[in-house]
Amino acid sequence: MKRLFVGTMCAGAVLALAACGSSGSGSASSGSSGTIAIGAWSPLSGPIAPSGTQVTAGAKAAFDEVNAAGGINGKKIEYTTLDNAFDAQQTIQTARKLVGEKKVVAIVGADGTAATAAAFPYVLKQSKVPILFTYGGSSTWYDPPQAGLFGAQTLYENQAAALAGWAVSSGAKHIVVVHDDPAAFLNVANHVVSAAKEKDPAIQTDLVPVKLNTTDYSPVVAQVKAKSPDAVVLILPVPEAAAYLKQAKLQGVTAQPYGYAPDADPGLLKLAGDAAEGFRTLSLTKLPTDTADPAVAGYVAALKKSAPDQVPSFYSIYSYAAAKAFIKILQGIKGDITAASISQAAESASGIDTGLLPPLSFSADKHLGTDQVIRLTVTGGAFAAQGGFTSPTGS
Amino acid sequence: MREFVLSTLSGIASGAVYGLMGLGLVIIYRATDVVNFALASMATTAMLVGTTAVGWGWGVLGGLAAAVLVCSVGGVAVREVLIRPLGSGQLFTALVVTMGVALILDDVQLHVWGGQPRTFPPLVGGEVHIAGAAIQNQQLLTVAVAGVAMLAVGYLFTRTPLGAAMRAVAESHPTAQLLGINPHRIARLAWALGMGLAAVAAGMFTPISGVTIGGLQGSLFFAFTGIFLGGLTSMTGAVVGGLAIGVLANWAAAYVSASFRDTVVFAIAVAVLLLRPQGLFGKQTFERV
Repeated sequence: MKRLFVGTMCAGAVLALAACGSSGSGSASSGSSGTIAIGAWSPLSGPIAPSGTQVTAGAKAAFDEVNAAGGINGKKIEYTTLDNAFDAQQTIQTARKLVGEKKVVAIVGADGTAATAAAFPYVLKQSKVPILFTYGGSSTWYDPPQAGLFGAQTLYENQAAALAGWAVSSGAKHIVVVHDDPAAFLNVANHVVSAAKEKDPAIQTDLVPVKLNTTDYSPVVAQVKAKSPDAVVLILPVPEAAAYLKQAKLQGVTAQPYGYAPDADPGLLKLAGDAAEGFRTLSLTKLPTDTADPAVAGYVAALKKSAPDQVPSFYSIYSYAAAKAFIKILQGIKGDITAASISQAAESASGIDTGLLPPLSFSADKHLGTDQVIRLTVTGGAFAAQGGFTSPTGS
Repeated sequence: MREFVLSTLSGIASGAVYGLMGLGLVIIYRATDVVNFALASMATTAMLVGTTAVGWGWGVLGGLAAAVLVCSVGGVAVREVLIRPLGSGQLFTALVVTMGVALILDDVQLHVWGGQPRTFPPLVGGEVHIAGAAIQNQQLLTVAVAGVAMLAVGYLFTRTPLGAAMRAVAESHPTAQLLGINPHRIARLAWALGMGLAAVAAGMFTPISGVTIGGLQGSLFFAFTGIFLGGLTSMTGAVVGGLAIGVLANWAAAYVSASFRDTVVFAIAVAVLLLRPQGLFGKQTFERV
């Protein structure tokens, strides 16, 4: 019995050592196969799948486009997206497949903040494979900057500052921020308040918390109406923002409503109907419907070719643009394209202009490429851009 | 004052939806001892069919009729295909089966209709102003429909042979069978009626909230609270409990705290149940030992 136990333990140790040896050691390279292996995880099933499939389609369209034009220095990009069902544990499994089996040299255009963060220990720290331009992100990812982690999406904190600046510059003296009660929403709401006070120390601000997934917004609107604000900033998901707008119109609340980038969604226009007219929100990219713009027209054409069943959207235009930015980084690498050379190239990349995102610039102590947004207003039942990219800091 | 009037009236309208859903739950429970956790998902699927029917030019009533039909037939199908083979007494298993049905339906909705929200037109438009608060006519109609449904179902159960048969089956399947009542036929009728009411509730609610995957789960949650407060076996209790929960939830959000809304509502429900375990309208039962 004792011999059997020792034998089993030894066999287990051998297996464990073999697994460690094959789990990735940061030496991922594109080398001999003639392709550049890139990976991503995205919710392709479950309730978040509608947005996840759009994010995947956008990035794939960009990679298909560059492959059709000959690839990068004659090497085609092999882009693999695996379903993580927006789950942290499943993300770790997909990360192991991508890095350990597919030997990807980078993760590009992954989807989801918490899910992606779950993969940091294995992907960034253990395997030294860079993660670039995730759809999502958090200020803690970039402050301080982490080796191999790069972002192209303006964070919620900067969106909050942009909204506050817009409201103040429009003459608001009293801002009410309506937000869902979980900490993630409260954090953004607090940033609206602090940014507003920074712009105008005399401004009056109030927070109105709402239980997540509330459907009856009449008590909330009654509270807002009682406060008589000039502006109302909504830090709410789309169905709740639409419920607020409809109820506010019904109850005669005339305060100008604002919402952060997640509310720039066709679903809000559908649910709120004409109650959304005049609603102000933000976009992280150019409008996917603005086909008069050559860059947007190029995105629409690429998407149509790569994924004919996909309709242009804010999700896919971002991931398409992020993939284009990544392609520009690859094109600047002289020598072998490896995980290490990609990280190095990204860290020194500046002024990357895709025509769809704000110009992206990185450095050793700045791994978030932009803080800019475009202001949008709902006009005639559609989102209309109010000028170009602007930064909350005025730069 | 306006805030109080608005919170109360809107709470009654929301509560009417919870009450209708609760009525559907109680009818199914009383006839078959099954708690249908898939009620919200099945009603959402029915409303998605309704939006498709409206898109085909069937109109609002046509879309609602399609939704009620799909939900009723779906209820019978779930009962016959998934619940009946379990046999009698498998209450926990049946409950888990309905949870599985809910998850499967959510995925089906995603694949068939996509994830974008849809709209369903209201039966009546416009609004009325009461003490400075605006209430949509659709909301007032919801309250009226819930009241009529409660009276109609109460009449069915207390004044008709079918209702007597349903109550007999709820008391004892074997005894009802000995009396010549087919319990499976009664069970099918109960599921069809219960799920039909759920579709009506969704048809009243979704013109205001939109049709979204998982959008009725919150209402189902409050419907359950309402039937526990009103009495698990009482039709009147289901509706009155739902109305009470709707108002309590709005008052708690408006005057206590949005974050503690559910805590306040459940604390009140628990306090009532401690004093009256059978609920406000339930009947106390005794067992011989």
